[in-house]
Amino acid sequence: MKKRPVYPFVAIVGQEKMKLALILNVINPTLSGVLIRGEKGTAKSTAVRALADILPAIEVVQDCPFQLYPGEELEVCRGCPQVECSRRMLNHEPVPTVTRGIRVVELPVGATEDRVVGTMDLEHALKKGEKQIEPGLLAAAHRGILYVDEVNLLDDHVVDVLLDSAAMGVNTIEREGVSFSHPARFTLVGTMNPEEGELRPQLLDRFGLCVHIEGITDPQSRVAIMERRLAYDENPEAFCGQWEEASQQLVAQIEAARRLYPQVSIDQPLLYEIASYCLDVGVDGHRGDIIILKAAKTLAAFAGRSQVTKDDIDTAAELALPHRVRRQPLQDIVVDVRGRRQQVQGTA
Amino acid sequence: MFRHVYPFAAIVGQEKLKLALLLNAVNPACGGVLLRGEKGTAKSTTVRALAALLPEIEVMEGCPYTCDPERPEDFCLDCKENVRRRVRRPIRVVTLPLNATEDRVSGGIDFAAAVKTGRRVFQPGLLAQAHRGILYVDEVNLLDDHIVDIILDAAASGWNLVEREGISFGHPSQFILVGTMNPEEGELRPQLLDRFGLCVEVRAETDLAQRLLLMQRREEFDADPASFLDRWQAENAKIAQQLAGARRLLPDIGFPEHLRTLVSEICTEHHVAGHRADLIMEQAARALAALQKHREVTVEHIREVAWLALVHRQREAAPPPPPPPPPEPDHQHPEPPESQTEPEQDQAPPPEMPPPPETPPGQEEIGPPEEEQQPEAEPPPRPEDQHQQTLEQIFAIGETFKVRKFTSPRDRLRRRGSGRRSRTRIAQKQGRYIKSTTVVRDGDLALDATLRAAAPHQQRRQGGNGLAVVLKPEDLREKIREKRIGNFLVFLVDASGSMGARGRMAASKGAIMSLLLDAYQKRDRIAMVSFRKQEAVVNLPPTSSIEVAAQLLREMPVGGRTPLAGGLAKSYELIRNYLLRDPTGRPMVILITDGKANVALGDQKPVPEALAMAGRLAQDERVRYIVVDTESQGLVHFGLARELAQAMAADYFQIEDLKADTLVNIAKENLS
Repeated sequence: MKKRPVYPFVAIVGQEKMKLALILNVINPTLSGVLIRGEKGTAKSTAVRALADILPAIEVVQDCPFQLYPGEELEVCRGCPQVECSRRMLNHEPVPTVTRGIRVVELPVGATEDRVVGTMDLEHALKKGEKQIEPGLLAAAHRGILYVDEVNLLDDHVVDVLLDSAAMGVNTIEREGVSFSHPARFTLVGTMNPEEGELRPQLLDRFGLCVHIEGITDPQSRVAIMERRLAYDENPEAFCGQWEEASQQLVAQIEAARRLYPQVSIDQPLLYEIASYCLDVGVDGHRGDIIILKAAKTLAAFAGRSQVTKDDIDTAAELALPHRVRRQPLQDIVVDVRGRRQQVQGTA
Repeated sequence: MFRHVYPFAAIVGQEKLKLALLLNAVNPACGGVLLRGEKGTAKSTTVRALAALLPEIEVMEGCPYTCDPERPEDFCLDCKENVRRRVRRPIRVVTLPLNATEDRVSGGIDFAAAVKTGRRVFQPGLLAQAHRGILYVDEVNLLDDHIVDIILDAAASGWNLVEREGISFGHPSQFILVGTMNPEEGELRPQLLDRFGLCVEVRAETDLAQRLLLMQRREEFDADPASFLDRWQAENAKIAQQLAGARRLLPDIGFPEHLRTLVSEICTEHHVAGHRADLIMEQAARALAALQKHREVTVEHIREVAWLALVHRQREAAPPPPPPPPPEPDHQHPEPPESQTEPEQDQAPPPEMPPPPETPPGQEEIGPPEEEQQPEAEPPPRPEDQHQQTLEQIFAIGETFKVRKFTSPRDRLRRRGSGRRSRTRIAQKQGRYIKSTTVVRDGDLALDATLRAAAPHQQRRQGGNGLAVVLKPEDLREKIREKRIGNFLVFLVDASGSMGARGRMAASKGAIMSLLLDAYQKRDRIAMVSFRKQEAVVNLPPTSSIEVAAQLLREMPVGGRTPLAGGLAKSYELIRNYLLRDPTGRPMVILITDGKANVALGDQKPVPEALAMAGRLAQDERVRYIVVDTESQGLVHFGLARELAQAMAADYFQIEDLKADTLVNIAKENLS
């Protein structure tokens, strides 16, 4: 059976903020992910799955369970079940590689901890008397996107593990007689419906950006959504074909932005603007500042500019701060960051 | 090990944090550091950066226990038997991941070796690796209790003793314990808190220029880590040198006798428990003197380190007093005639004035201050008002406090879940391994038990594949594990008019809020049912969103009559549905009421009906009931809630008893 093509990213109607946040993360993986908060049926999952189409390609060692590129982190190879490949890597011999798109790895809500972090291959241990690692989802997600649908429903233990790896970029397995680490640098993309329970602040903070989305209320757009969805359901291939050009354009724009990013510069006064923005609205820690800076630069690169503007910062702050604004325990998340700032400035 | 580590010298601000880490690196006798603070304040970054600065130590080549060549008496077996070369390597920072299992922390049986060679070989764990190094635990407050105990034990004795899975073994394990935590996620047990020599409260920089610098550096680092490191190489090396120098200097640092008096004075002044603070302060001061190349500790040194050793140990002189101050002076004022009528209550209509003796301080603590905010709190209890049913009020949430522990009893059922309330056997590969079973369900193999089961048959079985031990499916044993998980809590709130009397609702709301905060930290699921006027309503269906519950609580109005039986019935309905979905669940119902039922479901009188219903509810043993009595305990009180609690076989508390830190509770917990 031929694989059904996914709904194209560019064909998603509206939800510009969400799309922007996702694109920014594709351009700059150090933005450390997006949290998409919103009601059901607002194209959250569709958008994330569609991402796969617009992701750039990377070079990976063939069949590598840890998604390494040649020469990366050789320590991992010592414990790798791929005997032949490890030998070559360790001897610095050339290994076959493939170029493939960045992967979107989905973490199901019911995933158990050992499937996420990896575990010992018991069968092998019993038959051969050797310990062997069975890599988990975090290994598969290295250099890619880890997508957690309904991240707020995830088992607490798994959340802690995710936090750990997301923060360090390394997944460490210390259980059942196995001691092993491998790199796990991934962009964490989560969706959640806040009605089902809030995420812990600690995990919230690990998501670089946060967008709040709602159903579209404009009738015209709603019609467009229905029409497109229908067209896609009837004939996915033809529908995707229609959007092929737009997709390619976006991919080209993303690639250009990736190249431009290192050259983007920012003026001193604008840096002050970022810092005072964070101080005004009251943000815990410094991650907010850093993320705004990165997001603003990425925005500039995406727009083809090599200079950050004030607007970039405002947009970036709206993406980077909602979930970081300091609040009392058990208080709701601030959605309107700009309004909050004006309010604070007004009272000051 | 992976990736470039952000250089220590390039960290902006956070001087206290850096100082505490450096002091420990100079003098391990400082006893470790706990970094408490908000998210995103370079806690983890700094710890990892420190690793790059640490000096080298001498070890025996290939020794997994990091034996000290200078101390042959402590050598591990291997080092005793084999002659090994001495080599130098940097001090290690060993990270303890949150999901580490017990056997990897303290070490356990080496399965591969057992199967291959048939010998029982001990496989050293993280505590062995961390010997003479740093053991780093991120989010230490989220660690499982039994792992915490192991670490505590080793940290205290400097020796890791393993008695499990048929192994009896010990090895030295002296490490500097570095932990980070975010207090929002729950506090550490005081026991563990005290083990950390120093503690730093980490806060974000508020200075604009500093924040700016920080952003720029981070961005530079992310853009090109290698060249960033190069640029900071010199600075970093300088600190490393200073560190190495200080370590050499340390043994010769003198500590003048008169300063000891100063140290102990500082400690007494801050009501510090135990003597660890004194010792730590002295060691830290010596380390600081060494860092600054002084020969002798001075007062300045002590000043600088004192707070690091005190911050987590000082006891607030007396926790209970803070709330009373406003009412208490009123009481003790030398004006007896007026002391019964407190100023705030002057506006209140006189008929409800409590009889004079009805002023046990416990009740008054909560009462009066709330009334200050809610002068209208008085009217509702009037009988006339209750009949009118028109008066609805929303009370503010009163004082919150730390809630005492309550859990479900243990049983033999296996459950899934997470959280930190009640112990249970668990159907996940988590938690503490308590024993093994022959029932093989989910591949969580108990290696030791499996090997033991296979051992008697080994002579008959001939290993074809060169293994010393041949395993058959019938040998397999699985682990039975135990850990804490959250419960399902139903808050059954009496929102009738009688609850509004004399600010009791504010106090009750405070108590509920405290329970909710506790539920958040224990990761419980919750639901909320309230009853007033004629009926009970499910305000919040089962959810883990404590936020929504808190919001509801804030807005919950009070007024009307008390359909207690209806409330009980409603909560039972909710629980029945919950138990259908999750038959192994252990719900708890927390009933907050004064017990004064006055609306019946059927034809009976309200109070007997409620009591009868309570008796029937008690028969379902899966549900645990807790009654929080909100009636003020004066001369005239009905004690209906207590009766209800007895009928329901529930635990009975007054709001005061819920507090974790009252003396009575501490005594009770110790007795039971």
